[in-house]
Amino acid sequence: MSVEEKVKRIIAEHFRVSVESLKDDTSLVDDLMAESIDTVELIATFEEAFNLEIPEEEAERNQTVGQVVEYIKAKLAQAGRC
Amino acid sequence: MKVCLFEDEKFDLLYPLTLTRASFELRCGSMTLVERIRRFNPGIEASFFLRDYLEPVLRERLGNAVVNSLEDLGRDDVILVNGRWLPEHGRLPIEGDETVATCRGDVVYVRAKRETVRRSLSDSLQKTIENLRSELSVEEVEARMVEYPWHLVQYNHELLKEDFEAYWSKREGVKAMGEMVSVVGDKSLLHVSRGAAIHPFVVLDTSSGPIMVDDGARIYPFSRIEGPCYIGRDTWIVRGNIREETSIGPVCRVGGEVEASIIQGYSNKYHTGFLGHAYVGEWVNIGALTTNSDLKNDYSTVDVYVKGRLMDTGDLKVGSFIGDHSKFGIGCLLNTGTVVGAACVMLGGEVLPKYIPSFCWYADGRLRRGAGFRRTVEAERRVMSRRSVVMSESYVKMLEKIYQDTKEERETLIRKAELRLQQGGL
Repeated sequence: MSVEEKVKRIIAEHFRVSVESLKDDTSLVDDLMAESIDTVELIATFEEAFNLEIPEEEAERNQTVGQVVEYIKAKLAQAGRC
Repeated sequence: MKVCLFEDEKFDLLYPLTLTRASFELRCGSMTLVERIRRFNPGIEASFFLRDYLEPVLRERLGNAVVNSLEDLGRDDVILVNGRWLPEHGRLPIEGDETVATCRGDVVYVRAKRETVRRSLSDSLQKTIENLRSELSVEEVEARMVEYPWHLVQYNHELLKEDFEAYWSKREGVKAMGEMVSVVGDKSLLHVSRGAAIHPFVVLDTSSGPIMVDDGARIYPFSRIEGPCYIGRDTWIVRGNIREETSIGPVCRVGGEVEASIIQGYSNKYHTGFLGHAYVGEWVNIGALTTNSDLKNDYSTVDVYVKGRLMDTGDLKVGSFIGDHSKFGIGCLLNTGTVVGAACVMLGGEVLPKYIPSFCWYADGRLRRGAGFRRTVEAERRVMSRRSVVMSESYVKMLEKIYQDTKEERETLIRKAELRLQQGGL
């Protein structure tokens, strides 16, 4: 499974929507109605799924699904795992 | 003669309370079994056997304790004491012939001479006890054995009275209360340590049993305390209605109504809200208006989840069992016999599920994975530092072990709960 597929699957499962309904410009707050509790939980899930450490202030800059995918890819590259 | 406290294989029936401590560290009455044995048998040497992952933390708590050392066991005559046993008046049957005392299949204690222990030594304590059992005479005794968490609550009443008789009544305390403090009942059943403060407009009612207020405790105005009851060291009662059969350990902040409950220590329940027939671990925070039920509306016996299965307690009054480091937001409602694991976070507004696995969150009607291990530890480090307690590396390792060990259960229950939600069930 690619990083993009894995990220989208985690987001889809968390918000109980289909993976297909998630587009790159799907907004976490406006479209998926994410609240602070969702942010905290998603960060923890990504950290465990990709074995990364994600600072909250970095994570909060990601507003869309596409931005989250790119962010995770960049963190993995930084860690030499992509 | 040495005393050796050991955990037997039934420690997991006492989850979530024994996730973070040995069975002999659970509070019942005004103290834990370890404290009771040390206080009632001054000078006696004690050693301990417990699960490996708890060993470093126990060493930190007890100083230079001898822990999990079979070698040490053969050095002296010994009484091996099951950590789930609540001996009457804290008295250990040190004198007598060699024997293995059992109660309905459980070993209560073993009294043996050094030579016998040496002959029976094996590569584990369990096997050593089995060897002793086959070598020595076995006698069946009546004993108060704590098998499930609700037993601690049930026995609390007796233990509070026994502790007062055997220990607190013999200690020097404050002789006279302030003018505006009302003592209802027998004043001789009241022990207030010299370092404790009872503010005006407090009622202390000993009609049903003794009240023990430990050093540094403060009882603030408009509180009512009913005996039998123990208020621990440096604990504050803030406009509390503390009903009978309650034990509150050290450094707690408690207000609202509390009945027949035990709080291990270092926990907060500052505000209005009812806690009844419950056992609350350490570093728990209970938000305003959070309330637990301890009686079903049909007055039938209460079921509690034990090792994944609902079990009939046979008791009409059973509250909640809450693991260490769990946090409740405002207005959480806990059903009768609810079990909350360690390091959970619950947001209020509805009745919580009857079982919440460790390190889970419950919010918006969903069981969630929460903040993960690293962030949970960061938060709990802050919580502990507010009471000037440093979270040690051993403690972090213990929490990590619990986090890993409970992961499968957590994931399974989250999946099941999600499936139920998708199917439109409750």
